Amino acid sequence: MKSLTLQQVQDFLRSLTSDYDVQAPIALPDGTRVLGRLDEGPLAIPGGRVDSKPTSPFFPQLDRIFAYRRGSIAMQQPVEKPLLVVGLTAEDADALTFIDEFFAAEYRDDVYFNKRDRSAVIVVSGRCGKDGGFLKIAGGDCDLEFVCDGERYVLVPYTEAGKRLAHRAPEGDEVSSIADLQAESDALPDDDRQVLERASRLLQEDRVPEEFWAEIADRCIACTACNLLCPTCTCFEVFDWTRGEQIERYRLWDSCQLAGFMREASGHNPMGEEHVRTRRRIHHKLAADRTRWGRISCSLCGRCDDVCPSGIGIKAVTREIVRRFGIEKENGPET
Amino acid sequence: MKRVLTTCPYCGVGCNLYLVVGDDGRLVGVEPSVGHPVSRGQLCIKGWNAFHFVNHPDRLTHPLIRRGGRLVPASWDEALALVAGRMREIQDKHGPDSVAVFSSAKTTNEENYLAMKLTRAVFKTNNVDHCARLCHASTVAGLAATFGSGAMTNSIACVEQADLFFVIGSNTTEQHPIIGARIIQVCQNGGKLMVADNRKIRLARLADLHLRHRNGTDVALLNAMMHVIISEGLTDEEFIASRTERYEDLERLVAHYPPARAARITGLTPEEIADAARLFASADHAMIIYAMGITQHTHGVDNVRSCANLAMLTGNIGRPGTGVNPLRGQNNVQGACDMGALPDVYSGYQRVTDDAARAKFQRAWGVRGLPRDVGITSTAAIDAAAAGDLKALYVIGENPTLSHPDIRHVRTALQNLEFLAVQDIFQTTTADLADVVLPACSFAEKDGTFTSTERRVQRVRRAVSPIGESRPDWHIICEIASRAGYSGMQYDSPDAVMEEIAALTPSYGGISYSRLDGPGLQWPCPAADHQGTPVLHVGKFARGQGVFRPADYRPPAELPDDDYPFVLTTGRNYFHFHTGTMTRRSRLLHREERFPYVEISPEDARSLGIRDQQWIHVGTRRGEVRVQARVTDTAMKGVLFMPFHYVEAAANLLTINALDPEAEIPEFKVCAARVRSTP
Ligand code: SF4
Ligand code: SF4
Ligand code: SF4
Repeated sequence: MKSLTLQQVQDFLRSLTSDYDVQAPIALPDGTRVLGRLDEGPLAIPGGRVDSKPTSPFFPQLDRIFAYRRGSIAMQQPVEKPLLVVGLTAEDADALTFIDEFFAAEYRDDVYFNKRDRSAVIVVSGRCGKDGGFLKIAGGDCDLEFVCDGERYVLVPYTEAGKRLAHRAPEGDEVSSIADLQAESDALPDDDRQVLERASRLLQEDRVPEEFWAEIADRCIACTACNLLCPTCTCFEVFDWTRGEQIERYRLWDSCQLAGFMREASGHNPMGEEHVRTRRRIHHKLAADRTRWGRISCSLCGRCDDVCPSGIGIKAVTREIVRRFGIEKENGPET
Repeated sequence: MKRVLTTCPYCGVGCNLYLVVGDDGRLVGVEPSVGHPVSRGQLCIKGWNAFHFVNHPDRLTHPLIRRGGRLVPASWDEALALVAGRMREIQDKHGPDSVAVFSSAKTTNEENYLAMKLTRAVFKTNNVDHCARLCHASTVAGLAATFGSGAMTNSIACVEQADLFFVIGSNTTEQHPIIGARIIQVCQNGGKLMVADNRKIRLARLADLHLRHRNGTDVALLNAMMHVIISEGLTDEEFIASRTERYEDLERLVAHYPPARAARITGLTPEEIADAARLFASADHAMIIYAMGITQHTHGVDNVRSCANLAMLTGNIGRPGTGVNPLRGQNNVQGACDMGALPDVYSGYQRVTDDAARAKFQRAWGVRGLPRDVGITSTAAIDAAAAGDLKALYVIGENPTLSHPDIRHVRTALQNLEFLAVQDIFQTTTADLADVVLPACSFAEKDGTFTSTERRVQRVRRAVSPIGESRPDWHIICEIASRAGYSGMQYDSPDAVMEEIAALTPSYGGISYSRLDGPGLQWPCPAADHQGTPVLHVGKFARGQGVFRPADYRPPAELPDDDYPFVLTTGRNYFHFHTGTMTRRSRLLHREERFPYVEISPEDARSLGIRDQQWIHVGTRRGEVRVQARVTDTAMKGVLFMPFHYVEAAANLLTINALDPEAEIPEFKVCAARVRSTP
């Protein structure tokens, strides 16, 4: 396996811009890190998860689906240059596999696959997290992984596309194994995961009362950020704008934390009450998706806890659920 | 793709965000600024949708001139010449004070400064004002008189240093959501919360004490709280002795407000009032947070003074985590006031009646004869137009036909003008009455600065090119000045305007664009090496000693009677902003609150046989509108609440044009109304 210095990684990514629309972690002037083009600001590979929604290169906040003019429709076309998205964390890549499946199921979502098809994804992991933290190794869920050993980035390809990319990388030092890094990754604490699993079971067993959700809902200011930034949230609203003779159809990130999200034309609203919406946000990820897709659809990326102005992201809420409703674990039924 | 750091165009919290520009040069989203001290990577729903209206097909794209009764497209040259020409002509005929300018709390500091310069240096009148008249005129007057500075005394970061919040007349989680959410978090960790507001707002649901006093009885409540604090010896004697004057006046006046008397006025119990007083006085760090519930009354200034009295009485001012904190509504209403878009002051609150100030501005602007007399307020301007005394009005980014009280009167007044020019980004109902409509750029298409509620001066940056032929407001204002024959308003960029502002405005003296690349500076920032002032009145008040100015309770102008048995109070909801021109064109925001509505208590709804979501009529002596009933325990029995965003059922058709005698702010918060459920 090749291993590259940060400088070599940067040069490598730059060299790929002729064939790929490269989007990688960029440091914006105030320190915000987002997925952006290399000319948008200094590349900021180390630092952990980007602040922006990591799936936004494929599923942006606003996207034009088609334009209609005088009887003819111009549909959105597949992107000309394939996307190369660099800098997802293992959790982000896990989330991406979930939405890939979601957007392909039943009806294949062209607007998503116009960008996702032919794209490649590179995860960054290892000893390059925020404040020196260790980032979990994905070990898959992407085409190529850059595993940082503290100084250099080891290139671990998982797919044919990943191998081709790695092949194009400059010759760096050869590394035979990342076993020590893998061991370090395996030893990362998984408390959050355990809490999530236990909360998920409590929800499936219907052991979290309505009053709890009312209490949490009282604190929600409906900013929608927990949904907007969540890599597994895929809901959007569709609307049209008429501009002269042209009708433009767009889709826009939506949020189940809004009353209008499920309101029916009659005015009836199955999610008309705040606590029902708050419950849904967590329940959907931890219980409903488990039933439908066979997995929890929270990859514990951590964004909703950071972005929630009221402190009720999924980690905070699941900790609270387990603390309050999971007490029988020692002597009661297993939770 | 690119991202441009800028300041949210909605509320006064002043969150910073990135506008995301797509490859086609159009906005495609928003990302919060993680490094900004206020946003910290968080926004409310309005911030998350702040990009949306910019490219809306309804944007005004070229100037319009009224010809044969209709507004038709015209060239910029024609439109600008017409504005300058007609204003001059009317002044020649009727004198300088026959014209007025409404500036805008949505536009930048530079633009507000230029609007006031245009009014004063070019048109030689002090008739300039803006929508602070409708929101915090009482604060500017009330706090300036007591403390010497009419602004939020503390910073948003102080929320995390407070151990008690007294939120009175502010629906903080909806109107200043990021501040509201921070309060929630502090209270989750042991902070105490007291809410005085008869609507059961979100903060009230979480409060340790919720006071549902009658609308407009704040002075009685506050006086009685101070009565208890004094009689139980809970005052901060040292603070009173060393930092304040005229304490005896307060003592004497509040002696007449025992809780039993205030209970009769407010509808609270004497115990509730005493509990509130004790809880407030028990805190080491108590923050008073208020907004329109305090200011929009015929006794708005008295309300503000009473809040200030309570803070001084308990020594809760001049320290982090305390203070009297008016939350300013608009993104730049603080700045518009700071810039002197007010009839009585130049920038930095330098009085037009002060000879030295006038001489200073004459010199700097190279003009003579700056007017000595205080101009008319925007509320008075409407009355003057109706009376035929005001002949021409240039409205920049305001929508008085929806935002002022009693809009039937406003429409008549505007129709009575000889000339009306309106500059905006959308065709508003005010623009519908105009002789000339000038298409302006939105916040996303121009550079400048906004000053947030915590006095933080921060950058607004151009992210996309102007839509159609629209131009930045600063540019338009300067063009009008040149066409009116004044050569002193030619600038290459807003940057140069800020240089002039800094040179003439002591509190902005140290502010320049080169220093605003980071999170901005909080005024007073008098010198280039000054780091700004997060907390005002530390050690000493801006005016020296703080002065107690006690006020007696005065009832609102119009109270319920047999014909109009309800109190109607008006305000905003979470999803919309003011007259809704931007938010109602933002998909998600509009979808959330599509219809005009009135909140009515379950008891009242039951006795009137009204169901939730039923369309009903709400009427006052001024008019009647058809709105959806929202039956909710948020509303107290006997009180109706209506947001004023909806052009199809304007709450301000109902409100009363009754003004505070000092601040001339209208009483949007109380009038008498009735409800009719028949079609
Ligand atoms: S941590 Fe929050 S934002 Fe991240 S995947 Fe889970 S629910 Fe979504
Ligand atoms: S981020 Fe927090 S406040 Fe915002 S909608 Fe989600 S839960 Fe509510
Ligand atoms: S709190 Fe105010 S400034 Fe912040 S995002 Fe919301 S509207 Fe904008």
